[in-house]
Amino acid sequence: MTKKIDGRIPADSGNDAGFTQYNAVQSPWNKLMSYQDALHYASRFEAVLSAAVAQAYRIIIPDYATRASEMCKEAYGRLYYTGINYPGDDGFGIHPFMCGSYPGALIGDKGDDALLMCGRCQDFGTYRCEKELDVCDWDICGSELCRATTMSLQGQADATESRHRKGKKLDYLMVEAKGCGDRHCRIIAESREKYPAPEHELWQSFGPAVSDEYKKYTEEEDTVEESMMFREECGYRFVNGTNTETDSSNQMVNLSTAASLYLLPAIDNAVKLGYTTAENAEWIKKCVLEAAGKAMFGERYAIRACREWLGVPNSIGEDGRLLGGVIEMLLQSLVCHYEIEAFNKDEVIYVINRGDLAITGTQSLCEAHLYMWQGMVKTLVNAQWSVWEEDSPKGKMRIKIAKKIDKFM
Amino acid sequence: MYKNIFKDDEWKRSEHMAVRECVGYYLFTHQLMEVSGPDAGRFLDYVCPNDIASLEVGRDRYTTILNEEGEIVDDVVVMRLEEEKYWVSTLYATKIDDWFYFHSDGFDIDTCEVTEDWHMFSVQGPKSKDVLNALAANGVEDLKFFRHRPDTLAGKDVLINRGGFTGEKFGYEVYCAADDADDVQDAIDRAVKEAGGKEVTEFQVFAWTLPTEAGFYYMRDLNRTNPFEVGLEKNINWDKDFIGKEALLKIKENGPAREMVGFEVCDENQDFYIRAKQYGGPGEPVFIDSEEEEVGRVSKLVYSYVKNVNNGYILAKKDALHIGDRLKIHGYDCVITGKNWLK
Repeated sequence: MTKKIDGRIPADSGNDAGFTQYNAVQSPWNKLMSYQDALHYASRFEAVLSAAVAQAYRIIIPDYATRASEMCKEAYGRLYYTGINYPGDDGFGIHPFMCGSYPGALIGDKGDDALLMCGRCQDFGTYRCEKELDVCDWDICGSELCRATTMSLQGQADATESRHRKGKKLDYLMVEAKGCGDRHCRIIAESREKYPAPEHELWQSFGPAVSDEYKKYTEEEDTVEESMMFREECGYRFVNGTNTETDSSNQMVNLSTAASLYLLPAIDNAVKLGYTTAENAEWIKKCVLEAAGKAMFGERYAIRACREWLGVPNSIGEDGRLLGGVIEMLLQSLVCHYEIEAFNKDEVIYVINRGDLAITGTQSLCEAHLYMWQGMVKTLVNAQWSVWEEDSPKGKMRIKIAKKIDKFM
Repeated sequence: MYKNIFKDDEWKRSEHMAVRECVGYYLFTHQLMEVSGPDAGRFLDYVCPNDIASLEVGRDRYTTILNEEGEIVDDVVVMRLEEEKYWVSTLYATKIDDWFYFHSDGFDIDTCEVTEDWHMFSVQGPKSKDVLNALAANGVEDLKFFRHRPDTLAGKDVLINRGGFTGEKFGYEVYCAADDADDVQDAIDRAVKEAGGKEVTEFQVFAWTLPTEAGFYYMRDLNRTNPFEVGLEKNINWDKDFIGKEALLKIKENGPAREMVGFEVCDENQDFYIRAKQYGGPGEPVFIDSEEEEVGRVSKLVYSYVKNVNNGYILAKKDALHIGDRLKIHGYDCVITGKNWLK
């Protein structure tokens, strides 16, 4: 027996996330979900949505190498120019003497923790960096995403390098990836001056690493499940190697998703490059996302669990309020502002701020959610119900959940 | 079996040993906060626990900066350039800039960050004095430790400061205008290589292995500690008012709860796995024998190329660990030591 008190999340966690009453999200039936759980929920739901968008992208560009290559080029270019135009060296603890592209690892390290992708930095030096992740909610989105995230990191690192005196360039490789079935994700960045290797295409960013013999592998018993900001032994703060320090309070408002950061831009880029038309791309996204939504509640136990999770009273039967509760929990978890225009057994109407839902400014993420919700309502409630957008004011998405007959649905 | 990222890396070893045995140089530009005005000395005396107002022009002082709880916010070197102008050399300007601003009420001062205007090359090691004597118009023969003066080098105006982050008796920091950095670096590079030295390019060497071997801290080591816990209380001026004094007096009276101790890894297995805070994260927990109570966390773990041993720091409960104590950390044999591997 022990009197040890296990780590608890501090009561003030989430204080600056914009909640009015509690540091929690609240279902329409007053069921509370803690800040920490809400962050995890939002992260995983968006990963599921992202996985569906990834399938759409696979349909648009069937060849793996072509698809991965286009995705990597797009991600590298966009994150390189983001890094050039919005430098944030001080915020990442990148010091003036840190020349070369190795400080890019600090950006990745901080970004991982904010995305709940917890793990540890194993090496950080001018010629070699290593980061190992134990958790990645995006591990269901496909290995093309793993490659693209690595190249976005390369883009950020190269942008950082350009702001300093000449230094050593590192080649960022994801040598293990949870999305490929490995226990960990592992990025090793190494200088080709010190660790020579043949050049490779951007999408071939999986290694193997030349410096593999320095790798540090964390055994299962030492792995972690929470980011530093939710761990007692870390003082509930993320602190990286050069003393950048953040707590959990601003994490929710800075959530980004695989769909908004990588997959939807990749599809837009595929349209620009002529792999498909904009209309066809939209059609494929609609088909895949609706199917993904239907699969969420295809089994009765999923519906029962959802009702329990939302605290739905027995007096509420099969109607649109069930999906309304799910949507409200998600919107609150994303700190997405919305107004309730109707909430009754016949119809539910929300007016959602598109700017908030378009995480990282990706407008098509709003429609992606709508497609998903349309699928979800068919199994969570029943096939008589639909979700659609109508009469949206500027900058808003007004969605209606109601019964609808459509002979071409 | 994996290799040890320090011990087995001849590249790092050669750069490290160049500084210890000959001379090495590296770009070591820090962030510089310029504090000027009639109250500049009085202001810095208020935000720093060590004595600043008494600092003579042309001299430097190392000091911590504390918050109201007596915790170290930053550790900096203050350089008095003119009667009413100081540089504060930091690696935490994002915080210190705001810190100065929010504590400047009632002081007639100007503060601004001048990092973009300057570069600094650190020239360290036994032959650094010869190198600088050959390069600087006025030489450095009579330049004493923690003193600086203007000079010319490669035809460029520079400020040469005697000091460094390596523990070397001879070490110099050459400040130059950002636009002159290429010419100044070329000249230093040539002279250092002619003296048999080399450029130190590895961050882990100039920021971690060299300073740790000499018992110095990198800011991350000091995070959320107070001066008594890390042995930086010796030069505090208790006769003046400064931010954090009240809290620090209580700590002085009651004694610190923790202390930073040195340790070495004795395990023959070089493939040991002990996590340290220098990479982020909490650091490996430290237990004594079979006791359940955690007594500390590994703050830093690097390598002493002079002593050929993996060395580092543990932030431990006060008096829980003593020099010579043997213990296992994550299953590997370790021994508690002092914090200077050059003695």
